[in-house]
Amino acid sequence: MTAAIDVENLQKRYEDVRALDGVSLTVPEGSFFGLLGPNGAGKTTFINILVGLVRRTGGRAEVFGHDVEDDYRRARDAIGLAPQEFNVDRFFPIREVLQHKAGYHGIPESTAGERADEVLRRVGIYDKRDTRFDWLSGGMKRRFMLARALITDPDLLILDEPTAGVDVQLRHDLWDLITELNEGGTTILLTTHYIEEAERLCDEVAILDSGRLLTVATPEELMDRGPDRITVTLRDAPATVPDLPTLAAGEREGRIEAVELDGDKLVVTATRGGLVAPDLVRALDRAGHEIVDFDISRTSLEEVFVEMTREGGGDRTAEPVAADGGELP
Amino acid sequence: MSLVSGLTGFKTLTKREILRFLRRPRNTFVPPFVTNVLYFAVFGVILGDRVGEISLADGDPVPYILFILPGLVVLGAISNAFENASFSIFHGRWNEYIEETLTSPMPYSRMVAAYIVAGATRGILVGSLIAVIGAFFTSVGVARPLYLLAFGLVVSLLFASFGVVVGLWADDWDNLTMMNQFIVRPLVFFGGVFYAVRELPSPYQELSFLNPMVYMVNGVRYGFLGVSEVDPVWSLAVLTGLTAAVAGLDVALFERGYGLTD
Repeated sequence: MTAAIDVENLQKRYEDVRALDGVSLTVPEGSFFGLLGPNGAGKTTFINILVGLVRRTGGRAEVFGHDVEDDYRRARDAIGLAPQEFNVDRFFPIREVLQHKAGYHGIPESTAGERADEVLRRVGIYDKRDTRFDWLSGGMKRRFMLARALITDPDLLILDEPTAGVDVQLRHDLWDLITELNEGGTTILLTTHYIEEAERLCDEVAILDSGRLLTVATPEELMDRGPDRITVTLRDAPATVPDLPTLAAGEREGRIEAVELDGDKLVVTATRGGLVAPDLVRALDRAGHEIVDFDISRTSLEEVFVEMTREGGGDRTAEPVAADGGELP
Repeated sequence: MSLVSGLTGFKTLTKREILRFLRRPRNTFVPPFVTNVLYFAVFGVILGDRVGEISLADGDPVPYILFILPGLVVLGAISNAFENASFSIFHGRWNEYIEETLTSPMPYSRMVAAYIVAGATRGILVGSLIAVIGAFFTSVGVARPLYLLAFGLVVSLLFASFGVVVGLWADDWDNLTMMNQFIVRPLVFFGGVFYAVRELPSPYQELSFLNPMVYMVNGVRYGFLGVSEVDPVWSLAVLTGLTAAVAGLDVALFERGYGLTD
């Protein structure tokens, strides 16, 4: 199967600034792929190279097997883009703007109007079809951006911060809509600052920082990389941390990062805490401690993201990785 | 997914560009209407009676109001063709909605063609409007209709093409105004709109023939009056070549992403 997006050693330099520094990435056709990173990480540059608004300095970038510069017409024909900025023609009512966009993609005038009505209904702003963009509310503007991306019935839908600044209800509406599109076969590339959004929607996420790709993994895999916090409340508070073979072995093997006693609470910080917890409970029981409460707090994707992209905390020397998480050949 | 083919993109962008100025007549047609009524009234009627008749290289002397009419048509046509293309491209860049077009699969050559055709259309419409206004002030005929059509078309296309370059080059609104006020208009005013170049003393007469406007004004004048200070065939050939060169430059700039991409 041809990859929806396939980039290798992609580079973009602005004089001394490396906006993209050798990114290699494959987005499988039909997937829901997240692109995460702090401001200035290179997410929008990456997207703009795909659609032709930024010229790459080096490397290779293909959309459905078509080079984004040498075979730009076929590549762009496959892409629907909803950018973060409102780059909309303000001279015309939104229905006409959609008709124009359809026409630029070769859709005849005879069917462009029907398509415009269809996507306006789909995003819920059909009643505003004769209104100019400037007169729409903030939420309606976001809906329109999605409608414009959908007017050409793209195989690859690129959404750059699609829910930035929208209320909770609209965010959920948009999530439902793009999930439905993905289930219908459309490949989705999503950038977002809402980590919950990526966690909820994406099959895989890539984390970019300072123009470099730090990792590509499923949200589950990423969360497994962060430490979990196991809190065990004991009937009788011990004077010191119980001397348990399980804890000692875990620390030796690196599965347990820290063990602390906070009054009657024993707090264990461990990677993949769900695997450590049963042994810990059994060991405490054998040592004669009565457990009255137990809790595992899982690392959120947000915490993993912050840890990876924190200044000096991320693996800035990491080699580029493939979308399946393995090293590139 | 189907590969875009045909001229749908070109037709859509051309239509969009033409509708943009047709729906705003107060910005596009009213100003040249008012300005040219004033030109004809002041220069043609009030001053024209005092100036009398102007003699050209061949043919009978013509009344001054009839002499300036072709020049005013050229001035209106090229100003509007230039302004339409430069404004539309720069405004699209300024507000970033030109990205709607740039992210489409349309070939760059067709994008350029659409901006040029739409700009030239506005130029021809305004030029025609000025000719009609002139007809209310004086009796004007068309001696060489094919030449008039050809020159009207080529000067409008040339300045629409030039407007594309400026629309890409400008990084501020002042740049657009500067090009129109300080380069285009002076060239037109020294291009024989209000006087016959052959009446100038040397070396101003020779220098004037370095001004491309002289050939445009005289070409259109030849279409209206059948008389010209320069060879119309040669002028048309040079202007056509120049138009092709500037349009080719437009396409090259679009393909390079000049002013459009990072």
